[in-house]
Amino acid sequence: MAHWSRFEKELELETRRLISHYTSIQDEEDQNFQMALKFAWSNFKFHRFLDANRHNVQRSINGIHEKLMVHSDLSKAESWLRLTEEFLSSPLPNTEGTKTEVHYSVLALLLNLSDSPSNTNYCERPRLKETEKEDKFDWAKYLMEGEDIDTGPFPDTPEWSEDESEEEDSQQPLSREDSGIQVDRTPQEDHEQNDKTIQVTWTVGEPDSRAWLEQHIVTSYWVPNSPRFPHSLHLHSNLYNVWDQHLYNTGPLYLPEEKSFVTETQVIRETLWLFSGVKKLFIFQLNDGKVTVRNDVVVTHLTNNCLHSVLEHIAAYGQAVTRLQKFIDEVTGHSAEPCPPGLNSSSSSSSKKSSDPPFRTYQAFVWALYKYFTSFKEELNTIEKDIIAKDETVTLSSVLERLSPHLAQITMLHRVFCTGVADVPPGTPNVLRASHLLNTLYKAIIEYDSVGEASEQSVSVALLFSLWVETVRPYLEIVDEWIVHGHLFDPAKEFIIQRNKDVPVNHRDFWYATYTLYSVSETVESEERLSDAASGSSGGEQASSSRQHTMVSFLKPVLKQIIMAGKSMQLLKNLDCKETEQPDDAERKSLYTLFLESVQTRLRHGEDSPTNTVTEQQATKKSLIKMQSIVARHLELDDIHDPLLAINFTRLYLEQNDFHEKFSGSNVILDRSSESVTCQTFELTLRSCLYPHIERRYIECCGNLMRTLKKDYMLLEYLQAMRNYFLLEAGDTMYDFYTAIFDKVLEKESWQQLAFLNVQLQEAVGQRHPEDSSRLSIFLETIDPARKKQPVNNLDGLTLSYKVPWPVDIVISSECQKIYNQVFLLLLQIKWAKYSLDTLRFSDLTVAAKRQEGGQSEESTAKEPINQQIHRMFLLRVKLMHFVNSLHNYIMTRVVSCHLHDDVHVIFDASIQVTVSLQVSFVKEAIMKVLNLVLIFSDRWQAGFGAWKIESIDKMESDFKNCHMFLVTILNKAVCRGSFPHCKSYSAVKYFYLVRMH
Amino acid sequence: MASPASANMNAVRETMDVLLEISRLLNTGLDMESLSICVRLCEQGINPEALSSVIKELRKASDSLKASENGTSQG
Repeated sequence: MAHWSRFEKELELETRRLISHYTSIQDEEDQNFQMALKFAWSNFKFHRFLDANRHNVQRSINGIHEKLMVHSDLSKAESWLRLTEEFLSSPLPNTEGTKTEVHYSVLALLLNLSDSPSNTNYCERPRLKETEKEDKFDWAKYLMEGEDIDTGPFPDTPEWSEDESEEEDSQQPLSREDSGIQVDRTPQEDHEQNDKTIQVTWTVGEPDSRAWLEQHIVTSYWVPNSPRFPHSLHLHSNLYNVWDQHLYNTGPLYLPEEKSFVTETQVIRETLWLFSGVKKLFIFQLNDGKVTVRNDVVVTHLTNNCLHSVLEHIAAYGQAVTRLQKFIDEVTGHSAEPCPPGLNSSSSSSSKKSSDPPFRTYQAFVWALYKYFTSFKEELNTIEKDIIAKDETVTLSSVLERLSPHLAQITMLHRVFCTGVADVPPGTPNVLRASHLLNTLYKAIIEYDSVGEASEQSVSVALLFSLWVETVRPYLEIVDEWIVHGHLFDPAKEFIIQRNKDVPVNHRDFWYATYTLYSVSETVESEERLSDAASGSSGGEQASSSRQHTMVSFLKPVLKQIIMAGKSMQLLKNLDCKETEQPDDAERKSLYTLFLESVQTRLRHGEDSPTNTVTEQQATKKSLIKMQSIVARHLELDDIHDPLLAINFTRLYLEQNDFHEKFSGSNVILDRSSESVTCQTFELTLRSCLYPHIERRYIECCGNLMRTLKKDYMLLEYLQAMRNYFLLEAGDTMYDFYTAIFDKVLEKESWQQLAFLNVQLQEAVGQRHPEDSSRLSIFLETIDPARKKQPVNNLDGLTLSYKVPWPVDIVISSECQKIYNQVFLLLLQIKWAKYSLDTLRFSDLTVAAKRQEGGQSEESTAKEPINQQIHRMFLLRVKLMHFVNSLHNYIMTRVVSCHLHDDVHVIFDASIQVTVSLQVSFVKEAIMKVLNLVLIFSDRWQAGFGAWKIESIDKMESDFKNCHMFLVTILNKAVCRGSFPHCKSYSAVKYFYLVRMH
Repeated sequence: MASPASANMNAVRETMDVLLEISRLLNTGLDMESLSICVRLCEQGINPEALSSVIKELRKASDSLKASENGTSQG
């Protein structure tokens, strides 16, 4: 054997391996081994068998298949055929080509070695099963090609791989397990093995992982004419084909179109992507912000129409999401480029809208939206993870079901967004945008709130409420800054009240013309500019009543307070008085914080109103909860929506769940789930949580201002002066003044000369109140001649003016002086009537009468005796005097007796009360008529007897009687009814009593 | 790294897997190692029937040897 060929050497090697493998004799010099080797060699070389015949082998294969079929081993038969076929067409290690003689000889060897495969069922079965398992695995791999499978270990049958890797490592280092998939293990093994193995493992691993990748990569369905993914041929998963076939068969004109087949998982994934804001998708296409569904997308198990109806639905939601997302991007994208607020505010009107940075209300709104979307995307991610995990079946409908509460919320958000933001025409000023958005949110809450406590609605309301709370933040901060620091900081001009730049604080117009209130009309988006002159101190209600549906609704009830507090604060700051120092800013809680805290407290404790329930609840809490829940169920059954009850029930539940823990945290983020309680009574919440803080601040501010004005600016002294001169409280001084005028009038001289009047006034005032003489002046207003007809109107146009220094002129304004002047005029008229009656002398009449007697006796005898006429005159005079005196007394005592009140407004109100009461037109008219009568009467009296006819006495008497009766009836009624609010009843009674005595 | 060669390796491995399946189905009692030896022998032109008879004889002999060893060790 010395000259063996290489072939023979290899043969020898293989034979030895075979023998050592079967006999497990490792020592080749062993006798048995040598014997076996000899035996093998002799058999190999000197046998009498024919060469393997492929026909015979094929026949045997068919025979075995037939045999298996006969034995009803269908699966085994099928595997057998397939495996042999596969083997014959596979390459062998050292043989080129397929279906060679070697293939058949190997098969022949196996056939020879086979131990009755059909009969040995008992030992076949487990192995057969393995074969089948292998089968199944193949199919699964086959089916799931194109699916994204989790990168787990390659699911080969473990027994084989262990065999391979451990036993055949030296021969075949091509283990599947080394394909680089189990990354963790490979380096350890490598470490133990030699360098060569490492290299081989690595080189062989690459194609394996590529093959793995090829198997697991998603079919690129987005490419046109992409290969169809393989799928089951089961009828249920081919509904589309069946339907398509049906259409093809029934309609001769039916033309099958080119379709892109996708799997349902792909559809779900694209849906999730769409919802999370991905713009470039295959199934859904985004054109100009509009999401459309591709027409040619089909899944195999649904008909085209069915799929599309679902997808259109999704696309609508997707569009809403995209729109909201776009808005968020727009607003957040802007903030990247910083812009100094002052710079912008000056040029906001001229510059383009797009270049304006979003103002704070939008930013806050976007922040709230962003927070919502974060939670929404978390949900989407969870779903996607579920799909990847494959622990449960995820279908499109189940995903939609799962997302349905979110989708409802998105629809709602989109609606709010459309009305509140998107529908606002471009170029609208920020103030309108901001207030419109807040109004929309507010209305949406009210609207959803009123729908009731349906489960989905309450979630929506809670979401809306949280949105609102976030969005309102800038507004509340502006208000806070204003009413606390007196500084209306609003660079983007978004607040409904804006400062007029050109009015300095220390100007007297400050109080009335500094701020402009913008309001949004709901019907027409027109801008109304309302100067807040009216809403300043007294007439705020009138102004607000004229604009019912305007402005930011939630601030409306406290708007006046805000304005007053803000202005007071600003004024106070400018008066720089030391006493009104604010507490340290760090300690102070902002209005927004206070509001949030109140809301939280309210959520914790519910309302205070149903106190009975609370106490009961403390006593027998458990039983009550049980009872309440039963009642609640009954209520639901009866379809009763009682908000108060619902609140109570919910509160009970809230207390059950550790509600305190949720809110005891330091941050003030509101938990949405719990807000349904609040939203149930949204307006109540505002009333109890927001308004009181503003109210408190208002009272504090205005109180401070008043105190400062009184203390440092002598407000009360000025008021006293006003009363002295306008209300004639300084009787002696004013007496000097007006008697001078009255004397002039009596003497029929012209008194309407400014110089004369001023001299009189200065003389009168200068004697007793020299400090005021420089402030007081008198004017004559021209009045229309139509009013001058009556003698009582003779004094009209006489106007006193008192110069009040700033800042007291805010309180004692020109409007205020006008009213004072009205009172002054009325008092003058009464005084004049009284004066003219008082100055009448009996002698005038009697002397004239005596003169008359001689001359015209015949005339007088015809009527009445002259004495009787004179007597009537006397009587009438007394009656008139009585009336005028009572009136004079009443009014002067009312005026004088109203002592100093602390509040300026009270003083003011008290002093004008009289006038206002007289403004009540009919009463005033009657009194004026009487006063007029008095003047005519005194005129005639002075003219002397005979200058007028006797009929005129009758007329005067009857006129007075009428007026008197009228007043008596009116006042009587008013007193009885108690509905004469301006006349304090006792005064009226007094008056009434005095008059009736007559 | 020659990719045709490695692809061939991969294909051969597949073939061997299939062959093992056939062998199991036929209940030949061959494992992966013996199977690969047999394939190589067949490729070298050994007559399959001769090989099968040798394998059978070797099994028999090995069994008897083991039995006798067991017997002697027990005895």
